[in-house]
Amino acid sequence: MMIRRVSTNSCLSATAFGSFMKWSFNSSKFHGESLDSSVSPLLVPGVHVFHCPDVVGIVAKLSDCIAAKGGNILGYDVFVPENKNVFYSRSEFIFDPVKWPRRQMGEDFQTIAQKFNAMSSVVRVPSLDPKYKIALLLSKQDHCLVEMLHKWQDGKLPVDITCVISNHERAPNTHIMRFLQRHGISYHYLPTTDQNKIEEEILELVKDTDFLVLARYMQLLSGNFLKGYGKDVINIHHGLLPSFKGRSPAKQAFDAGVKLIGATTHFVTEELDSGPIIEQMVERVSHRDNLRSFVQKSEDLEKKCLMKAIKSYCELRVLPYGTQKTVVF
Amino acid sequence: MIRRFSERASVFANNWILKSSASRFHGESLDSSVSPVLIPGVHVFHCQDAVGIVAKLSDCIAAKGGNILGYDVFVPENKNVFYSRSEFIFDPVKWPRNQVDKDFQNIAKTFGAMNSVVRVPSIDPKYKIALLLSKQDHCLVEMLHKWQDGKLPVDITCVISNHERASNTHIMRFLERHGIPYHYVSTTKENKREDEILELVKETDFLVLARYMQILSGNFLKGYGKDVINIHHGLLPSFKGGNPAKQAFDAGVKLIGATSHFVTEELDSGPIIEQMVESVSHRDNLRSFVQKSEDLEKKCLTKAIKSYCELRVLPYGTNKTVVF
Repeated sequence: MMIRRVSTNSCLSATAFGSFMKWSFNSSKFHGESLDSSVSPLLVPGVHVFHCPDVVGIVAKLSDCIAAKGGNILGYDVFVPENKNVFYSRSEFIFDPVKWPRRQMGEDFQTIAQKFNAMSSVVRVPSLDPKYKIALLLSKQDHCLVEMLHKWQDGKLPVDITCVISNHERAPNTHIMRFLQRHGISYHYLPTTDQNKIEEEILELVKDTDFLVLARYMQLLSGNFLKGYGKDVINIHHGLLPSFKGRSPAKQAFDAGVKLIGATTHFVTEELDSGPIIEQMVERVSHRDNLRSFVQKSEDLEKKCLMKAIKSYCELRVLPYGTQKTVVF
Repeated sequence: MIRRFSERASVFANNWILKSSASRFHGESLDSSVSPVLIPGVHVFHCQDAVGIVAKLSDCIAAKGGNILGYDVFVPENKNVFYSRSEFIFDPVKWPRNQVDKDFQNIAKTFGAMNSVVRVPSIDPKYKIALLLSKQDHCLVEMLHKWQDGKLPVDITCVISNHERASNTHIMRFLERHGIPYHYVSTTKENKREDEILELVKETDFLVLARYMQILSGNFLKGYGKDVINIHHGLLPSFKGGNPAKQAFDAGVKLIGATSHFVTEELDSGPIIEQMVESVSHRDNLRSFVQKSEDLEKKCLTKAIKSYCELRVLPYGTNKTVVF
């Protein structure tokens, strides 16, 4: 149920021709320059991840597929776990979209995916494909949202923020509301009650997104919602899971007298704070920390941990592994 | 927690230097000039907070010619307790060891202290400890080697295990060479033989459980009355109990750790002294999870014991520690 195959809806016929044709009409002969037109192609980067049952020959086929179209592999990660018959790879390559049109690339990898019965085959060309569309959900605490909005504004979060949804109302003259208004991002106040989590309304608002980010959204999303949405939902928890699930993990940690506190980003499942972990970060604490500094350190970690996880996800580094784990290249 | 060890240490350092020659070196007076040898001392204090504690403690040291080299004070927010740890050097001629005890004891009484411990490492006897383990012995081996290298300032009274070890193994030969007795005390579900263990360890200052897989009962802990330090190769409170490395592996965490803590009746739940982590990823298998956990365990336990011996660890509330 993990990474959806986003490549299918990104078939821009972008025949981005680099305007790098050089014509040399005059007969001056520079050393090494031929008289006929030499074309310097504009190469664009692509990423491909592949997840299938393990057999001989996968890497050969994948790499040949890229090379045959003139693509140059710049990085390649392969992982086959011990005692498990699965194969994971992630390749970074550059290619000429003239020689290898975007649509053709999708088809070529799809052919190989079919051949190997792949559970997952996703190719992404960041400069051509539309950015991931995400919706951000939060409740009252907004430091995570603020961090994400600022990083997005700085171009460090390569996504399109479709909308922000919250079960807390925010006054229009607050920093967040003014920011969202300036950037044309809609804010939806959807109050929840114990009886009604208004999941249908949320589903309606987010149905066109590629994945969801819960940035301190304190409501539990039901199994129905997750099935209905069908795509990945990433949550940040300011505790080092599986310790301190649920509310106020910073306070739980403070009361427990631990010497290290942390944050965990993970995929959301029906069970609270229990889905496959993507990233974890820690920081030291001591007797000199009070509850306030526990909270402050947790929040700082949260922001970094969530950002890292989302970046990894967008770069196709995160893949499902077993029932409860992830491969993060 | 930390018991008062200073009562047993009334040994005098003999470090007089007498010069009786009449040669006149610049700066040297004719009469016998004594260059005192200053030795280090450590004092920890834990009492109800009040005005004037630091003044009294520091004055106590200065009045006897002691020089404070380091001072840590901690008073938690909203709590009426005071913790301090001072490192000082002093001349045991000017301030005899007995007197050091008495002087601090007076202040302890003045402030109704929960705890006042002074320790002079070069004079006081080393802490006597017993090490308990079951089958896994990497922690014990680490501690024995560090002890041999002089990095663990303790006297190892004995090693107790519920696993038998053949006499030609590394550990047994090591212990024999160093005259440390090994006691095989086999346990069953019905009989943990705690009375026998108590008898073996009653002269120790604290115990170290270095992968001892039996739970010590409340009776044992009360009977022993002194601190027991355990190492757990998981990041508590995650993964309590057996096989924390495997629990962590199955949980798909990206960080694993080890925790040293004081032992209470409840399994893996006592006040935490030290924690350490390391990154793991999908590339780690169970074997490397275990290997990384064991490496962390060894470092974490050694650090906790060193801190404890240096009087850095104090109880804080019901379930926490101050570690200076």
